[in-house]
Formats: sequence, C-alpha cells, structure tokens
Amino acid sequence: MRISVQDLTLSFGPRTAVRGVSFDVDAGEMVSIVGPNGSGKSTLLRGMSRLQRPTSGRVLLGETDIRSLGAREVARILAILPQSPDGGSDLTVRELVYRGRFPHQGILQRITAQDVEAVEWAMDSADVSGLATRPLESLSGGERQRAWIALALAQQPRVLLLDEPTSFLDIAHEIEVMHLLRRLNRDGMTVVAILHDLVLAARFSDRVIALRDGAIALDGPPADVLEAEALEHVFGVPMMIITDPATGLPIPLPRPDPQLCPVLPGNSGDERAQPAE
Amino acid sequence: MAASRTDEPDASWAQPFGRGGRPSLIVVAAICALGAVFVLTLKLGSVDLSWSEVWHGMTGESDPLARNIVWQIRFPRLLDAMLIGAALAVSGALLQGVTRNPLADPTILGVTAAAGLAGAAAIKFDPQIPQWGIAMACVGGGLGGGAILFVFAYRGAVSPIRLALAGVALSAFFGAAIVGVLSSSRTFLQTSLGFLAGGLYGSEWRDLRAMLPYLAPGFLGAVLLSGRLNILALGDDIAAGLGVLTDRTRLAILAVVGILTGCAVATAGLVSFVGLVCPHLARYTIGSDNRFLIPVSALYGALLVGGADLIAKLLISPSELPMGIITAGVGAPFLLYLVRFRE
Repeated sequence: MRISVQDLTLSFGPRTAVRGVSFDVDAGEMVSIVGPNGSGKSTLLRGMSRLQRPTSGRVLLGETDIRSLGAREVARILAILPQSPDGGSDLTVRELVYRGRFPHQGILQRITAQDVEAVEWAMDSADVSGLATRPLESLSGGERQRAWIALALAQQPRVLLLDEPTSFLDIAHEIEVMHLLRRLNRDGMTVVAILHDLVLAARFSDRVIALRDGAIALDGPPADVLEAEALEHVFGVPMMIITDPATGLPIPLPRPDPQLCPVLPGNSGDERAQPAE
Repeated sequence: MAASRTDEPDASWAQPFGRGGRPSLIVVAAICALGAVFVLTLKLGSVDLSWSEVWHGMTGESDPLARNIVWQIRFPRLLDAMLIGAALAVSGALLQGVTRNPLADPTILGVTAAAGLAGAAAIKFDPQIPQWGIAMACVGGGLGGGAILFVFAYRGAVSPIRLALAGVALSAFFGAAIVGVLSSSRTFLQTSLGFLAGGLYGSEWRDLRAMLPYLAPGFLGAVLLSGRLNILALGDDIAAGLGVLTDRTRLAILAVVGILTGCAVATAGLVSFVGLVCPHLARYTIGSDNRFLIPVSALYGALLVGGADLIAKLLISPSELPMGIITAGVGAPFLLYLVRFRE
C-alpha cells in the first residue's frame, strides 16, 4: 500500500523536529531513511504512524488520512517497530508474537484459526519458530530483534516501518535482518527503515531519503543520490565514494584524516614510534 | 525461510493456568482453601454452631437464633471480606501492570488514603450518614486519588522512582489528614481504630448492598481492560503501534482502581498489603498474562482477607482483632520471603 507524507511538521513543545516534509512511498517500494543523529528520522517515522500527532500536514495510507482512521484500524494496515523495545522480557517468543494479533482481535481476545496461521507465518518469516517457547530475556540481541519483527509481522501489515532494525547486531545478523526485509518487500510489503549504515542503505533499498535538520536533503535511488559532496552536506564530515565491485552500487565512506590515520604519513602514531630525542 | 518447528502450535498460549498447560496446583489448592474458609467462617465464632445448624441457617429452616447468626451476621460479613479482598488484589494487579512497577499497590500509591479521607470527611460532616453515602464518598475519593496519580505519574516521563515517591508523599499526606479528621470527632477511640487498622466489625448486608453498584462494573472493567494491559506491558510505543490508546487506557485503569479501592475502604477501612502481596503471589503461580493474573489475584485476595477475618475473630474470641492486622501480619513476612528466596 502507498503511504504519502504531505507537508508534515512534527514538534516537541517549542522544538520543531521535522519541518514540512513531503514524499510518497509507492506500494511495494523499499525506502531507507538516513541522516545524522537528531536530524528527525525517528520523529518522522513516529509521525508516519499514529505515534505522534502532527503539528501540521498529514499522512495518507492509500487515499485515507491516517488521523481519520481508528488506532486499531491503522494497526491492521501499518506496523511500526520502534528502536530497541524493552518490554515483555518475561514472555516467550510465541506469547510475544501473539500480542501482535491485538488489532485483529475482539474484546475477549479469542484465538481464531486465522490468528494461529498469522502467528506461525510471522515466526517462520522472521526465523524464530525454533525459539517459540524461549523467554525473550534468554535470547541474544539478534534473536530478540527478529522476535520483535515477528510481532510486527503478526499484524499482517501492508506497510512496515522500522527504526534502526540492525542497531546492536553483528554483521551476520545485520545481513539476515536486511534479507528478511527484502524478502517481505519482494512479496509486496511496503518497507520504510531508518538505517545508520549507509552501505546497507545503498545495497538494500530502492530509494534513499536523507534528512538534515528535519528537512529532506536527498531523495532518490542510491546510485543517483549517494554522492560525496551531498553526503558531506548531510553529515558534516568529509566523505568519499567507492564502487561495490559485486553490484556497481556506491559505498559511501568517511574520508580519512591524514593526521589521525595510522597508515598515512605525518600522523601522530608515526611520531610516537620515533625514539625521543 | 527454513522453519525448524520444535513444538505444536498453541502449546504455550491461552492456557489459563501456567505454561505447562496443567492447572497450577497452587491455584487448585487456593480454591479448596477458600471453600474451607467459607464453611469454617459460618461454623466458628463466639458461638460455635453444629454443621446441621449451619446448613439450616443457610437454608432458613432452623431456629431464629442460628438463622440470625449464620444468615444475618456471618454470611454477609464473609461475602464482604472476600469481595473487598478481591477488589484490593485486583487494584494492586492493575496498578503493578499500568506502572510497570512491582511496588505499586493502592496503599503505597495513596489511593486507599484518598478514599479514606473522603469517607472520614463524609462521616465527620454527617455522623448519621447511611452506608451507601459512605460508599459513594469513598469511591469518589478513590477516583480522585487515581486522577492525582495520573497527573503525577504520566505528565512527562513515567519514572518508577518518581511514581513511588509521589505515592508515598500522597499517602502520608492523606493519612495525616484522615487522623486529623477522625481525632476531631468525639467518637474517635471507639470507631476510628477499626477504620485505621482495617476491619470488618459489624459488617453486614447493608455494606454489601452499598458497594455492589460500584464493585460489579469495577470487576467487569478490570477483566475487559486486562488484554490492553498486556499490550501496555510491551512499552508505550509498541502498544500505540498495535492500536492501543495508551493514555486513555491508563486513565480507564486508574478509574477502575479508584472504584474498587473505594469500595474496599468504605466497607473495611484502611486494609494494607492485600493489593501488594496477592498479585505477586499470582505472578509466581501463573505468570504475567493479565487475563489470568487478574482473576487469580482476585482469588488470592478473597482467600487472604476471608482467612484473615476468620483468624481475627477467633484469636482473642469472644473479642476480635482488626482484620487488617492479620493481613499485614501474614502478608508482610510472606512478601519478604518471596523477595529473599524466590527469583
């Protein structure tokens, strides 16, 4: 399903975190949001769900304003996974994932065959079926992250929003989560993820949106918009781009500082290696 | 993705009594103990009745004296004890869930004292006030206490420490105000000690009728909110993402706590520890799913207060102790045991 952000402004009291942002994410598109800390990424994602009320502007799910839908109605279409959730640590994985069925259930929360099917599918997709009876607190960081993703999948959303789903994960788990998102996306889910890692953003997304000071600085396919000068403007550090030999996609890297890089001449490490006169 | 399924679907979910899928033995034992308290309360007291007198007293085919003891005195008082025990335990379970804080309880967070102050003020204002008037005042006070809690705890960040400190302050403040109101009345010593310590002396059908209009919707509300409370336990953002209106749900839960606590205070005064201990006990036996935790807490609360009232009547018979002394005397060491020796 298509999600449209129209002139969205989000504030905390007097502080404006997102100012007049507009963009559309088409059905089945996978979009990464990047940007420095405090640039408004998380706030934007919260504004795109019902977690934060906009100061002005609106968000459309399909053709409908998200504010005109009920909270549970939105939760049946759109799932959001905030950054490092910490609740429910005494639950087993299956108990946690069942709670993702809340927006589909009646007041008595009777479990239907459809609930069972959705939960098993969600656990299979996130590859946590083998952990179903393990308490959340006994899992590693990567396993726990996949369990939370399974919770979001149990909502059977058509739009999935994730805030740094790969933070605190090692490379293997990072790749695993990105592959999972890509697979879900291939099956038709619209995915919007905040990513810290520009290399992952370049490799796995159809489109990258970079925020700076609450406004969009870059928006387009990774091969077009991930350029050194533009990224320098966004992140405020010297950048350079190399090309991934496997895909031809850009790999953005911070440019080394000759004074502080151990292998470049003239750095302090070399000087320290010299015997003192 | 390759799925390694190690167990049957639904093996660990939706089991009312624990993860093994078996009814917890402790829950079964508690139900049996509640039955024992029930029959012993009808039989024992300052006048010991025979089993047949108890039976005929309940069915109404006995001599007027036994009928009066069983049906007009012991049975309604027993129902009052069990209902207020359940009300306090459910209040504690709801508060512990909504604050995500194991220390929460209507007494510690000042709701009991707020209800008690309203009740004491009502009695001071009109010493002839009927029981339904006291119940109304206490429920109003409980709702006010819940509202104050909402303002203190949820404007801004929810910090367990801030919540506990605010609760202790409110509790002390309202508690002092209660003593102030009571001690300025002439009948201080006779009536007030039972109220302050928590007791069911002279409790009868009138008390039950006065609190029932509030208790019934209170319990119903607790059951209906238990599923949402489960979702709130996952954290605010997750809950909001799943379609729970977090602030509205919290306000509803605190209103239910105010109503249930108000009912208990109107009938038995300031009973402490029931709301703190029973939810912990329930959590040790059946886990943290509020849809089961709330009814099992109610069971333990009914057992604790029903049992405590029985002991309070028997210990120095024919006189009696305030029941609240027994709940604290049993509850506090038990909580210490759980804290020290169980994970």
